[in-house]
Amino acid sequence: MNSPPTQTNSRDAAEFSRDFLLGLYEKMVLIRTFEERVKFLFLEGTMPGTIHQCQGQEATAVGVCAALQPGDFITSTFRGHGHALAKGLSVQELLDELFGATTGCCKGKGGSMHVGNMSKGMVPGIAIVAGGIPLAAGMALAFRLRQTGQVAACFFGDGAVAEGAFHEGVNMAAIWDLPVIFVCENNLYGASTHIQKVMKNPRVADRAAAYGFRGETVDGNDVLAVYEAAVRAAGECRAGKGPVLLELLTYRRTGHSRRDPCHYQDKHERENWFARDPIERLAERLLARGDFQPAELAAVQERSNLQIETAVERAKQAPQPTREDLLADVLA
Amino acid sequence: MEIELRMPDLATTGSPMRAIRWLVEVGQQVKRGQPILEIETDKAAMELEAIAPGRVKNFHVNPDDTVDVGQLVATLEAEEAAVGPAPAQPPPPVAAKGGMFARNRATAARGDEPAIRAASTLTPAQRAAVRRMQASKQSAPHFYLQTSASAERLIERRKASALLWDACFVHAAAKALARFERMGFRYANDQLQPCESDAIGVAVDHDGELFVIAVASPASKSPEDLSSEIRASVDRLRAGDPEARRLQPARMTISNLGSTGVESFTAILNPPEAAILAIGRVAPVGVVSAGQVVPQSRVALTLSVDHRVVNGKYAADFLQAIVQEIETL
Repeated sequence: MNSPPTQTNSRDAAEFSRDFLLGLYEKMVLIRTFEERVKFLFLEGTMPGTIHQCQGQEATAVGVCAALQPGDFITSTFRGHGHALAKGLSVQELLDELFGATTGCCKGKGGSMHVGNMSKGMVPGIAIVAGGIPLAAGMALAFRLRQTGQVAACFFGDGAVAEGAFHEGVNMAAIWDLPVIFVCENNLYGASTHIQKVMKNPRVADRAAAYGFRGETVDGNDVLAVYEAAVRAAGECRAGKGPVLLELLTYRRTGHSRRDPCHYQDKHERENWFARDPIERLAERLLARGDFQPAELAAVQERSNLQIETAVERAKQAPQPTREDLLADVLA
Repeated sequence: MEIELRMPDLATTGSPMRAIRWLVEVGQQVKRGQPILEIETDKAAMELEAIAPGRVKNFHVNPDDTVDVGQLVATLEAEEAAVGPAPAQPPPPVAAKGGMFARNRATAARGDEPAIRAASTLTPAQRAAVRRMQASKQSAPHFYLQTSASAERLIERRKASALLWDACFVHAAAKALARFERMGFRYANDQLQPCESDAIGVAVDHDGELFVIAVASPASKSPEDLSSEIRASVDRLRAGDPEARRLQPARMTISNLGSTGVESFTAILNPPEAAILAIGRVAPVGVVSAGQVVPQSRVALTLSVDHRVVNGKYAADFLQAIVQEIETL
């Protein structure tokens, strides 16, 4: 379980369109660059609060969201920056939110752990571990009753699997055949605890069988494998054959939060996973097609840098909430 | 261009962090994201990363220093070409923290206080105290009795004449000892032996050295006389009179930390004595009198006793006698 999967089960990159592949690559680079920049904003003391980052896990968010329709919804966790960018939120509305500005995606009231935008199909992040699972089941129930054809994709980590809310939400989705994709980003660690210490059966996808639906383990650092698995799952959900549990094997390159030095990750394990970095792997496959040039991929990085730097400068000047904003949008 | 590296908010509870060691040297070129300082938070040891590339110009904290969020830890000299994605403006100033740690650091930096970080040899008087306290704590089976007494009568007496608090407690203990003679004995070689002296000791801290002044025949002296005698002894001690510094035998000792504001404490027996009375601060508290809560100044008393010499009941009765003497002085 400590080693990444060694073979990829996705179709060859040659079978996808050039624009589609470039779009996936752009999104993953944007997420990585965003997270690295935010890390330094935190270290500079420019941005308040702690942050939970997803460097190394970009393929899970991008692969799943690429398989969804614009009207589909996702739920997220405290580690939600990548999900948000993958679902189509803008760099500016995210950065403004991290700076607590009224122009942020949640008007500055959510912050890093609660980013989202309902008009773009993302419920603001639910920071309680497994908290999004019953909520996604409820959304999927609404989709089914209204016969809208929408799908809910619910992101959670391996730590959520042992929560009671996982059992309740997954079981309810199962008995009513709800259109929800349960996406477990299994990065091997619940905060600092390795899954081997907390799971007798470390194969999360196996749990689906206990509830009577299909589960699948996927190389979560292969964005094309993730995309294909999510396409299959979304198709089944829309055909009334949901839910589906996708276990995406991935690895986080940083601590659980910025305050976590991450000393618990084994050096050999880190090297193994770092050698299978999702962005580098996609880059290799793009170059192997023959119709991508290294300079084109370098330009992708340059565009991300520029886009993010521009947004950072604007976010620093973005309007902060006033006393009058205190009770707006507050329901209880 | 100079870049200031400030301490990020890496602790989980806003608690101070501690610098462990520098991972780079002054003059060294560092990359953005390179670990430069190892720090200890309330949860873990972590590495602080440089926020920009540059040459290390100055360190502003030393290993073992306490570091607050926002505090300047180092300055880098950025090479103009290498500035790159560094922030266009310096980070907003963090409110200066003028806490105790900051003052201590300022003092240490000025060097106008002796550095206590280096090893230092104890003075002969300190070594004697260390040996005696260690032998006492390791060999005498201590037990402790706690109570409090009304200090209203003492306060009244002190209004009339300039009595030392210590004199009042010595007087009360001397009166009680007259009724509980065994408290003045000491244990040695399976025997209880009487003390050759009728003195009561008063613990005195002088420049970090611990002395005990012996007040002879206290039962026969008034609190006023005891006050003058104790004052004179302390003056001689401070003047460096070797006779005043010499350890004299006594039946028991009084240790009074009331002036420091401490509420109560337990003292280590001054060997070979069998009792030491620890005095806390005098402070008003609410007491119930005839069904009413009324304010009353009280003082906490803790008696440490050598169990080889007396049992709990005897010591408790002795402590009660002291309370009675204090309240009727």
